[in-house]
Amino acid sequence: MVVSEALRYLGAANDAGTLRPQVEQMMGSIPETPRWTYRVFDLTFQNDTPSLSGFILPGNTAKKMLSGCEKAVLLACTMGLSFDARLRALQARNMAAALILNACGSALVEQGCDEAEHEIAVRFPNLYLTDRFSPGYGDLPLSAQKDLCALLDTPRRLGITLTDSMLMNPSKSVTAIIGLSCAPQMACIRGCGYCSMKETCALRKGGKHCGL
Amino acid sequence: MAFDLKKDIIILDGAMGTVLQQRGLPAGGVGELLNLTDPDLLRSVYREYIDAGSQIIFANTFGANGRKMASTGYSVEEIITAAIRVAKEAAEDTETKVALDVGPLGELLEPMGTLPFEEAYSLFREMMLAGAKAGADLIVIETMTDLYEAKAALLAAKENTDLPVLVTMSFEERGRTFTGCTAASMAHTLEGLGADAIGLNCSLGPDLLLPILKEICANTSLPVIAKPNAGLPDPVDGHYDMAPESFAAALLPCLDAGVTIVGGCCGTSPDYIRALKQAIEDRAPVQRTYVPSAFICSAVTPCPISGVRVIGERVNPTGKKRFQQALLEQDLDYILDVAVAQEDAGADILDVNVGHPGVNEVEMLPKVVKKIQSAVSLPLQLDSTNADALEAALRIYNGKAAVNSVNGEEEVLHRILPIVKKYGAAVVGLTLDKSGIPQTAEGRVEIARKILNTALSYGIPREDVWIDCLTLTVSAQQEQAKETLKALRIIREELGLQTVLGVSNISFGLPARSLVTQNFLIQAMAAGLTIPILNPNQKEIMDAVAAFRVLSGEDEQCRSYIARFADSTNPAAVPASSALTLEDAIMRGLRSDAAKLAKLSLAERDELSLVENTLIPALDRVGMDYESGKVFLPQLLSAAQAAQSVFEVIRTAIAEKGGTPVKKGALAIATVEGDIHDIGKNIVKTVLENYGYEVYDLGKDVAPEVICTVSREKKLRLVGLSALMTTTLPAMEETVRQLKALPHPPNVMVGGAVVTADYADRIGADHYAKDAREAVEIARKVFG
Repeated sequence: MVVSEALRYLGAANDAGTLRPQVEQMMGSIPETPRWTYRVFDLTFQNDTPSLSGFILPGNTAKKMLSGCEKAVLLACTMGLSFDARLRALQARNMAAALILNACGSALVEQGCDEAEHEIAVRFPNLYLTDRFSPGYGDLPLSAQKDLCALLDTPRRLGITLTDSMLMNPSKSVTAIIGLSCAPQMACIRGCGYCSMKETCALRKGGKHCGL
Repeated sequence: MAFDLKKDIIILDGAMGTVLQQRGLPAGGVGELLNLTDPDLLRSVYREYIDAGSQIIFANTFGANGRKMASTGYSVEEIITAAIRVAKEAAEDTETKVALDVGPLGELLEPMGTLPFEEAYSLFREMMLAGAKAGADLIVIETMTDLYEAKAALLAAKENTDLPVLVTMSFEERGRTFTGCTAASMAHTLEGLGADAIGLNCSLGPDLLLPILKEICANTSLPVIAKPNAGLPDPVDGHYDMAPESFAAALLPCLDAGVTIVGGCCGTSPDYIRALKQAIEDRAPVQRTYVPSAFICSAVTPCPISGVRVIGERVNPTGKKRFQQALLEQDLDYILDVAVAQEDAGADILDVNVGHPGVNEVEMLPKVVKKIQSAVSLPLQLDSTNADALEAALRIYNGKAAVNSVNGEEEVLHRILPIVKKYGAAVVGLTLDKSGIPQTAEGRVEIARKILNTALSYGIPREDVWIDCLTLTVSAQQEQAKETLKALRIIREELGLQTVLGVSNISFGLPARSLVTQNFLIQAMAAGLTIPILNPNQKEIMDAVAAFRVLSGEDEQCRSYIARFADSTNPAAVPASSALTLEDAIMRGLRSDAAKLAKLSLAERDELSLVENTLIPALDRVGMDYESGKVFLPQLLSAAQAAQSVFEVIRTAIAEKGGTPVKKGALAIATVEGDIHDIGKNIVKTVLENYGYEVYDLGKDVAPEVICTVSREKKLRLVGLSALMTTTLPAMEETVRQLKALPHPPNVMVGGAVVTADYADRIGADHYAKDAREAVEIARKVFG
């Protein structure tokens, strides 16, 4: 599964040929595993705008995603700085292999998010999880990243820091918001129509989509 | 002070942040503003800690650096002055001391991030000056995860104040920090730089920190600090899982291990400090026995000299035309390749020498050190006679370096040794002086003694003095080989020092050189040579080291030796058949085969025809397969890399002939300001270089002004810009605007995940490159 995901990032979703064994081998050689941290917050609404512990989530995406939820989880997941160091070292040795490693890292950090989500679901057997979404999706501004990282204390807990332009270091890091609700949730984030990347997405440019 | 940092058990405070949160402060706020807005709240927390038994309290200045305070409207000095004043008021009439608390800057330093070391130093310097001026009794640098950042802070404290400095870092359970720093690397580096006490804080509870604390105790003579969390937090409610009594009980084994300075971090409160004080009330500090031993390191790779350690000698221009050319052209990538090859060949340490006429060593040595440390994990030996160059490089080196070299001349010793001491490096002493190299072993040992004694007088510990008793060419001075070996034996046995020796020189002028070199190396190791300098790319030389490690018992159960030769029976390791053509080798991405075939091919035709008739057509065919979806980007890049190895053969051939390299045109590429993801840009660079273009790689997060300056100075006709995030597109637009406003504007091509042809058009770029392949087509159009 995670191999197929990496192949997708390499633009070789179907019929990868000799690339598949290369990705499989690379995947097996990566000692780092994704690590994550999360916090569960009570959700309040002020004029329909969701807020957790004073962290206000502006825009329609957050409103829609979290409507009807009692709680929300903030999640951060990363492959860590050691993975970035590995990627830097490999770029100085073998760019082609580094490209494969890069795709593996992206696939692994997403897998970490899936595992974290599963862990949360197990801890709250009576609540339903919404799809996870992140700053930058829809109209949730990327600047929300700052409060999210501060609330999770990501520099201390995972080593994730933000640059002034709101990019995360280490490079293979993901932050996300998941709503918890008593009622089952409609899947509503799936599809390019909801994605803020739709105008510029590399996959869309090539006539493909990421499947989310 | 009311206590002796070196001898006494000392109790620090507990958490400030989590205590404030319990008292209603929202998580994630700027706590440093409380120094101005609610000093009473802070004073009450300090008072509680003092009453509970804290002998040192940390003022509320953890994040009070210029970067984090920029948006608050207050200056660093205002906040720190207020913070120290409040803490001192709370400690008035008590024996408790107040520390300026310095945490991480919140942005990663180069090469992991984009913050330059020098800028980090300035930010810390501002804090240190303000803290000292406000009357702090000492400085605490804490929660560091990057040794490089800890070094910047420690240097700033030492150079701008006279206060004692405590440094603690945060480790993960696996025994490394987030950035991969090891406990041994941390201990040796920070002790060398003059910290007064070192240790751990945050991240884990005392139980899980214990093994890492033991590792630190084994690697330092300094007092060791433990300031752990109250266990681990519950993700649901954020509560830490250790109660005050169990926290205090779990810290006792740390004191047994030799820790003398204790406190609490996240999740602890005055109750924890009270419990701690009660638990340790009657205890005397445990006397540690620390045995100093030779050691250098990078942040991630400790290198204890506990057996034979190989120094790779190849990063050195002497006698290497291609290397000299790279230095003069500032081709740092070539130099990095030389370093990388030695790490992969099994070197333990790399010597770095950039001395060559026309090269400014003071600028070049630190530049090359930074470049090598970005992709090579080995510790480095900085090789220069220029004190300024050595100081500039030692300053920005991440870890504990070695310096090559001093000799018995008074003037040299007094010029270089103070720098070695200041930065806590090891130093190589050559056994020669103004009268030359003594012809007898005894004469050389005499100089070694002098070097040792002078180093000791500067406070450089004995284990950091390495002696090189010099190899002379055996074909010229045959009797000297014996003297070198004899001197080696005496220095090892009588002075007990580590020994360094460049062995390759022995065989100069003889046939079958490697046989003589190998034989000399073996005899030298048997005589006590611990740190040979050699060419690790020569297999038979490294084989000798591997065999020696087996016989000396260092290679336990011969594991490394067996692993080294495991591949040699593997048929896949045998070079491809003679039927392989150069085109095939390039298209299939076989780097070493392509290089070998290119060398053969150059015997029959010139460089240009090789490039035009073989290299480029082969790359084009792979390019077409890529476009039609038959192969994917990794395979395209593999072919480009094989082409790169062919180019390297060509460049070396031309450099040897003293000619100028074939270059089809020069361009600059950069990832725009604010954007830190550069793998796409690096791919484009690899491919363009292998079509013969000269590429100035300006890096990531590059300001428009820098790109314009390079374009103007190099008179470039083409500049490539990359952006990955929508947030950095405005920076791309601005860069294009500034480039187009130049008197002779270059062609601009843009690309990257979020860039489209429409967008390129809109911001006035000349070309949009969908991928690396299109970038080549654009370069062809521009350069013809």
